[in-house]
Amino acid sequence: MRYGGYAGRYIRVDLSSGSIGVLETPESLARDYVGGLGFGVRLLWDEVDERTDPLGPDNRLVIATGPLTGTLFPAAGRYQMAAKSPLTGIWGQSNSGGFFGPELKFAGYDMVVIQGRSERPVYLVIDDDEVRLADASHVWGKTTFETTDIVREDLGDETFKVMAIGPAGENLVRFAAVINDAGNAGGRTGMGAVMGSKKLKAIAVRGSRGVRVADDGAFMEVVDEAYEKLQVEWGEAVRETLTKYGTPNLVEAINAIGRMPVKNHWTGYWERADEIGGVAIRERYRVKQGSCYGCLVQCKYYVEVREGPFAGRYKGPEYEAIVSFGSSLLIDDLPAIFRANHLADALGMDSISLGMTIAWAMESWERGLLTAEDTGGLDLSWGNADSVIELIEKTAYREGFGGVIAEGSRRASQIIGRGTEKYAMHVKGLEISAQDGRAHQSSGLTHATAARGADHLTSLSCLEERGYERVAAERYGEDKVRELTDPLETKYKGWLVKDLEDLYAMGNSLIICWYEVGWPPVFYFDDMARALAAATGMEEYRDPRAIRIAAERIVTLRRMFNVREGLRRKDDTLPERFLREPMPTGPARGNVCRLDEMLDDYYRARGCDPETGVPTDETLRRLGLGDLAGRWR
Amino acid sequence: MPAVDRILVVDPERCTGCRICEAACSYQHYGEFNPRRSYITVLKRESDGLFVPMVCQHCAKPLCVEACPTGALYQYGSAVFLDKSKCIECRQCVNACPFGGVGIDPVTLQVVKCDLCGGDPQCARRCPTGAISYVRADLVGYRRKLEGAERLSRLTSLIVPSGGG
Repeated sequence: MRYGGYAGRYIRVDLSSGSIGVLETPESLARDYVGGLGFGVRLLWDEVDERTDPLGPDNRLVIATGPLTGTLFPAAGRYQMAAKSPLTGIWGQSNSGGFFGPELKFAGYDMVVIQGRSERPVYLVIDDDEVRLADASHVWGKTTFETTDIVREDLGDETFKVMAIGPAGENLVRFAAVINDAGNAGGRTGMGAVMGSKKLKAIAVRGSRGVRVADDGAFMEVVDEAYEKLQVEWGEAVRETLTKYGTPNLVEAINAIGRMPVKNHWTGYWERADEIGGVAIRERYRVKQGSCYGCLVQCKYYVEVREGPFAGRYKGPEYEAIVSFGSSLLIDDLPAIFRANHLADALGMDSISLGMTIAWAMESWERGLLTAEDTGGLDLSWGNADSVIELIEKTAYREGFGGVIAEGSRRASQIIGRGTEKYAMHVKGLEISAQDGRAHQSSGLTHATAARGADHLTSLSCLEERGYERVAAERYGEDKVRELTDPLETKYKGWLVKDLEDLYAMGNSLIICWYEVGWPPVFYFDDMARALAAATGMEEYRDPRAIRIAAERIVTLRRMFNVREGLRRKDDTLPERFLREPMPTGPARGNVCRLDEMLDDYYRARGCDPETGVPTDETLRRLGLGDLAGRWR
Repeated sequence: MPAVDRILVVDPERCTGCRICEAACSYQHYGEFNPRRSYITVLKRESDGLFVPMVCQHCAKPLCVEACPTGALYQYGSAVFLDKSKCIECRQCVNACPFGGVGIDPVTLQVVKCDLCGGDPQCARRCPTGAISYVRADLVGYRRKLEGAERLSRLTSLIVPSGGG
């Protein structure tokens, strides 16, 4: 590999045969797909198709870093996973912070590709040049925290970075997560179930090879500029929000615009939001600040509950988990939310899909469509925290009604039937995250079009949330600022979501954290281009237009993955609730999501046929994907 | 030679475990981002949020200097330095230091230690939380007093009724 930033090698493990290969990272892959998400997209396109069973041996799990991973560029501490999703049956991806990603790079690998299926539980050990499979029968059944400790003890060094699945992944809970470094989750789309299906319990990595960049002087200049932006230009904005409160500071801010899901997305405003907000957490429970590798934002934190049934020290929940276990279920008891979030991490489940599937059950219960007979006697009244805690445990072990929740809201509602399908709040099978397209129109478009289903991290615009007018003007022109910063306006939003989808895809390929690219909107394509060119020495990326084209290539090929699975425009939609039921309360009262007004613009911006949602042949050719042209309509 | 009247001060309470210090140190000394080659190491228990950066304390009565048979380790002002030209790699210093302040590089397997980056320690320069700072030795006590005073005033404010009961 002649490019800097990369390790230049990757690991391929076939668990069926137990064979392990160390291969060269192809230069063309690095140049055309950059890293992280881009690597995952290209590999899954080539090696998985519409016949692949997500829980079968032919599915691939790609665990990838990017050219910035492990460097001093701020918040370059994440890794990206991709596989066909057992929850949705289509494109799956998840991304996690902590320290595992950089350590993989330090050991000298850009990526790990897992295929096949082991007969017995194993874990993978990567110790610089030594890569081997170890027996995992003694950790099978253990929580992610226990597994991390035991694996480190096995290996005699607590500095090994470990990513692991919990009982939920082993039991093929369809939204099982991968948890690394004690509580960092690669949560969405069931990557933990993919590992479980392959009988791969964990990956432990330790490395001392380090990362070198192509142009030291230029790279450190870029790093210094990035520090200046985050610590000075955006310093106060960052310190007074994410650093001080973590993502829970969104609870109050998002409730204020009427976009915080309450009671299974029934409404977007909760009078009791302050009870579960960032200020309440900080004042009553927060004991320590935490951080992922190399980050200046440092949104992680720890809490301590001193008494009561949920006493203990926990990693603080994120905004999404607080909504998922809190307002979505009408639970305003923070210790119960901490406990639920901790259980999700320990047992290895996505807090969003888990909470939102329970929210479906609670609404069905309220409407009398689900009874004690279905739930094994569990009372699923709104706000019943004890039942929720019990149901979370049952879900991980697929016990009783937990076995229904474990299927995710789409399948669960099909199993129960009786019209409960209407209350399953998902798109393409993925539970809707903590936004509401009725209060924030472009977030509805994001949920409808994101490749992995109803997700926020694919393209969510924060320009409207806090009115980032200067940013909107700089990026898109003064004349569009009013519409772009108005959450209830649909004009220009198709173009905006397309632009951000490209931006975040590149962020996930380099890889840098969403909390300096998306919210707050600090880094844009030009910053990314400078960092990528200096780190790798790929001169063509000095031109920000080149990095936009690479991003479009990644997003378009990802979209083609779903097209190959049979998805079309009709699938880019939202549950009826968002399209037909006007928001009942709060600042956005009376609004529905006017999705169709934005979709045509989105397809045009994306270079797709507005009738089918399929990328046009012209788009495919422009992005160097001409061999795909004409094959799908 | 660095300005020797200044010392590295570590405050574990402020450390968030981000390891920027390790990346910056390894880059400064080896031109690569490689925390395992860093002279400063953050010890951590992630599940509880306990983080302690460990680095050479530049002791006033350094046991490493005492243990060194060749004079490779020596004091200069308020700091301890390693003269590699005199070092015979006997590692007596590594055993003698109670803080792990002298270590062995995992790549060269040679004895290494903090050299204060020639007077501008990168760990302190990059630390985003102020957990590591490079300050005048005679002001450390004063700064601690200030922090103590802040803590005290916070406690006092807790017992002062702030209206409304």
